[in-house]
Amino acid sequence: MLWMIFWGVVGAVGTRKAYLRKDLDTSNAGYIGSMVGAATGPVGLIWLWLKTPEPRKSLMIAPPIAAFALLAMSFSFADPSNNCVTNGSFVASQISNGIILGILYGFMALGLTLIYSILGVVSFAHGDFYMIGGMGAYYVTMVWFPGVNPLYGIGFACVSTFVLGALFERVFLTPMYDGRIERPVEYGILVTFGLAFTLQYFIAATVGSNPVKAKRYFDFPRLSWPSKEDPWLLKTRRGGMELFDTITISNPRFTAAVVCIIVLLMLLYFLHRTWTGKALRAVSLDREAAAITGINPNRMNMLAFALGGMLAALAGALLVQAFSWLPQVGAIPAMRSFVIIVLGGLGSLPGAFLGGIIVGLVESAGTGCIPDPQKAASYIPAYGGVVLLLTLLLRPTGLFGRRFSGGSHGKFG
Amino acid sequence: MKKSKLTIYGVAATLAVSLLGSAAFAVSCPIKIGGLAPLSAPGAVGGGEAMRDAMKLAEADLNAAGGALGCDIEVVIADTEGLPEKAAAMMNRLITQDGVVGVGGGYHSSVGVASKDVANDAKIPVVFAETWNDTITGDKQQFIFRIAPLSSWASATIWQSAILAPGLKKVAILTENTDYGIPAAAETTKGLVANGVESQTYGVDIGTQDYSGIVERIKAYDPGYIIVLATGEAGYNFAQQAADAGIGPMDLPFQAGQVALESKAWWENVPDGQYAFVQRIGIPVNLWNDKALKLNETYKALTGKGAIESYALEAYDSISILVQAIIEAGSTDGEAIVAALENIDHDGTLGRIYFPYGSQKDPSVDGKGDEWWHQWPDPAMTVIQYQNEGEDSTDSAIVWPDAYKTGEPIWIKK
Repeated sequence: MLWMIFWGVVGAVGTRKAYLRKDLDTSNAGYIGSMVGAATGPVGLIWLWLKTPEPRKSLMIAPPIAAFALLAMSFSFADPSNNCVTNGSFVASQISNGIILGILYGFMALGLTLIYSILGVVSFAHGDFYMIGGMGAYYVTMVWFPGVNPLYGIGFACVSTFVLGALFERVFLTPMYDGRIERPVEYGILVTFGLAFTLQYFIAATVGSNPVKAKRYFDFPRLSWPSKEDPWLLKTRRGGMELFDTITISNPRFTAAVVCIIVLLMLLYFLHRTWTGKALRAVSLDREAAAITGINPNRMNMLAFALGGMLAALAGALLVQAFSWLPQVGAIPAMRSFVIIVLGGLGSLPGAFLGGIIVGLVESAGTGCIPDPQKAASYIPAYGGVVLLLTLLLRPTGLFGRRFSGGSHGKFG
Repeated sequence: MKKSKLTIYGVAATLAVSLLGSAAFAVSCPIKIGGLAPLSAPGAVGGGEAMRDAMKLAEADLNAAGGALGCDIEVVIADTEGLPEKAAAMMNRLITQDGVVGVGGGYHSSVGVASKDVANDAKIPVVFAETWNDTITGDKQQFIFRIAPLSSWASATIWQSAILAPGLKKVAILTENTDYGIPAAAETTKGLVANGVESQTYGVDIGTQDYSGIVERIKAYDPGYIIVLATGEAGYNFAQQAADAGIGPMDLPFQAGQVALESKAWWENVPDGQYAFVQRIGIPVNLWNDKALKLNETYKALTGKGAIESYALEAYDSISILVQAIIEAGSTDGEAIVAALENIDHDGTLGRIYFPYGSQKDPSVDGKGDEWWHQWPDPAMTVIQYQNEGEDSTDSAIVWPDAYKTGEPIWIKK
């Protein structure tokens, strides 16, 4: 491990210098150098420094895979009795858990990155839209209309947060666009912070701080495949399912992940196949050029903020059946979303989704593989922190990030 | 002669009246008493709200009975959020800004540990209601008292009832990384190991929502019993996520955290929570005294709940006992209240409350540990089991100990 870390650090520092000396692009040099150093040590680094190849895809992907394989190997030698080494079904379960969690994380981060890509604002109220979405769905399905189809609850959460987001953007964010605000970035942070506190304390004052939870939206039917006696392929109970006698997936998470994937596909269709979606993308790329073609960037600002908040609320509405819900419930998912969008690249939708899955897998691996069970779950917030730190050190633009993305802060002209 | 006698009586009477008068004038009315309770996450909000309601009921009952030293009592509630740093700040605020003369309540051990030094330094007596960590009284501080059980006693309840599970070999303990969870897990492990039962402890932060990774890890460990030592919504989240993964209360013997006593919240947050065991502090409902029964009725009318929780009874008594001490001391001076508390014989909702060890008698005299200092020795501890879906915790069967038993435990087989 120490060997890998040492050569990783040497690689990150040395490669940047080697590329700089030859007047080459250094934006990926640190990342490539650290991965080549960690995977191959001095041998690979000498080759890299002498050749200084173009940062092509294979060079970006192969070294981290090799470094990961080396890390896994050294881990298996260091702790041969660890579940992550000896228990294949445990590993499969943790991977599936990580992917499902990652899908949910990524979905939540999508809204944040959408807002950033159009408005250039990191919305600190994102976690509170998530909380409001869950509360809305809970109230519709459990308090106001008990027994109603959960789709009404989810729909209410989406519509109400869309309207709230649009109103907030019109009232509080428009001063950023027309030069009335001298420091739009700071203003954006402060005003969304303000919204976050307002929403959180409003809910605490009106609803209370006791944990609430919606009923499971639906129960799985009891299935046993291929036979009741030996259901090795699939076994379900009302709260969860077991695949291959190995992987356990809880009902609420499964439902939430499936809906997230469907909505993601719809969102991609909207962004790539509809005029409004294309207009949103155009504004995120170049506001002035988009305006010349007849797109109203200010309207796109409103749409992006409302849509971003709605996506967070939808994640909340889907997860209020999985987690106990409180006014403060959005704090940790919001922090995690910030990590994910930095990892995926600020403003990148595929980056946010992939970043979510990576963070989900890292958290699962950490929780499952850290040898001391008393510490493993305690470090969950730290795993995301490590990912953030490494991203900022090695590839500050993230996986799919553009330089200066969203840098216009919603301003036109 | 007669005249001189009259003069002496007259002077004595004047002195007595003026002394009484000065005592009354020295007390500023109303007499304020602090009440610590977690009213925001990550604290156990359900428990905090129950304690707050009970402390306000204590205020109303005490004022209806005439208050103390000619003054009304005002209970000033402070939200600790279950966080040590917030607890210390709240204790400071209660003492320096609100001017309280004593403090009751307190739910989380970390709150007690963090705030007791602030109170002790300021010479303000505290009667902790529900903070279990042994060191709270174990530090033998002059102004700190407790009517909750010690963590070591509470842990003993848990492991002693757990080892009764048929064929038990392995136990998984999920604990919060706090001043309550860590020592409680260590004590529980010690008890289990001494009885030939292996255990593994899994630590979590109290704000944790997602337990899927740790649930898989526990599944891989394959325990025959799960013990949860987590307060707040963590207790709900873990229990239901474990149930979703097939290791919940309906799948194997499962000792839920104390938040499970909030029946309405338990069934809403853990719909698959049937057969969970829960530890309960305080004597069983069928043995409640008249004071507890009367309070129960008022509390039910106020909150709409099925019955008063044990920690609400403790919170009520923590305020009542302080007021009795103030009356007996005839003063709101901290040292005078402590002297009264050390000699108190309080008829509370929990029963007779007294503190056998303190400055008048060190615990070591009777071979007891330091944690017995200013500690009420008789809190009753039981284990109940939710044997029917949707039932109230006060109606549930008491399955341990034999002295209070109202039903046999149902042991779920994997």
